[in-house]
Amino acid sequence: MLRIPCPWCGERDETEFHYRGDASKVRPAADAGLAAFTSYVYERENPCGWHLEWWLHVGGCRRLLKVVRHTLSHEIRSVGGPEDR
Amino acid sequence: MTAGSSRARSRAGLALPLESHVLQAFVSEGIKPVLDVVLTYGAGHFYVSQSDKGGLVFGGAIDGYNSYGQRGTLPMAEEVAAAAVTLLPGLARLRVLRQWGGVMDMTMDGSPIISRTPLEGLIVNGGWCYGGFKAIPAGGLTTAHLIARHAPHPLAAHLDLERFAAGRTVDERGVGPYPYAH
Repeated sequence: MLRIPCPWCGERDETEFHYRGDASKVRPAADAGLAAFTSYVYERENPCGWHLEWWLHVGGCRRLLKVVRHTLSHEIRSVGGPEDR
Repeated sequence: MTAGSSRARSRAGLALPLESHVLQAFVSEGIKPVLDVVLTYGAGHFYVSQSDKGGLVFGGAIDGYNSYGQRGTLPMAEEVAAAAVTLLPGLARLRVLRQWGGVMDMTMDGSPIISRTPLEGLIVNGGWCYGGFKAIPAGGLTTAHLIARHAPHPLAAHLDLERFAAGRTVDERGVGPYPYAH
């Protein structure tokens, strides 16, 4: 069971959250072309290590969180809002 | 290529449309024969069969977030147990003997990739999601065809890498490009 420290609600069980995937992908400019959009939508770094990812706190504040989590140890290093890097 | 796909990928300099996720499986204590088939239903992503020793072997969906940790977490164990009892209420008192987690290479559309790549001579067979153990006899045959004849087997032609850029993904659940949702 992951325990995710939501900046607004405090530390909560993972069952309160929905995973929303890789948060390192940035939407390209509208005229960036097919290759850029294919990479944005489909290609993933899939690291064995630290991973920047989205979690939606559906059972709490309903905010989107950006979480830095280790994909092998599942340790959570930092949690912030969508505007954080 | 298996769940370690990302390492093979980084060596080849190829970015692939897949993520690694953990899938749990469970084995119960041995009981008298109750099942002589593999019983499964797609809506709950649950399957169960009985081993020769009498234990029920069962599992369900992936835990739902990127993971290389070969262990599962409890919320999905609870969900799989609930699916088991929903399908077969008589299993409610069965005790689980052991549990483990394996790393699955989940593609963005939930279907495998059997394809040539932009690198001459490099062929990708991976992204088997849940289906590897069941489907790999056909996967091996069609991959051998691709290697020997330099052309995709008709049964696997739609599983090429170009399907993502071309917008003809094979998304059976219709959930979009999210490996954790397949």
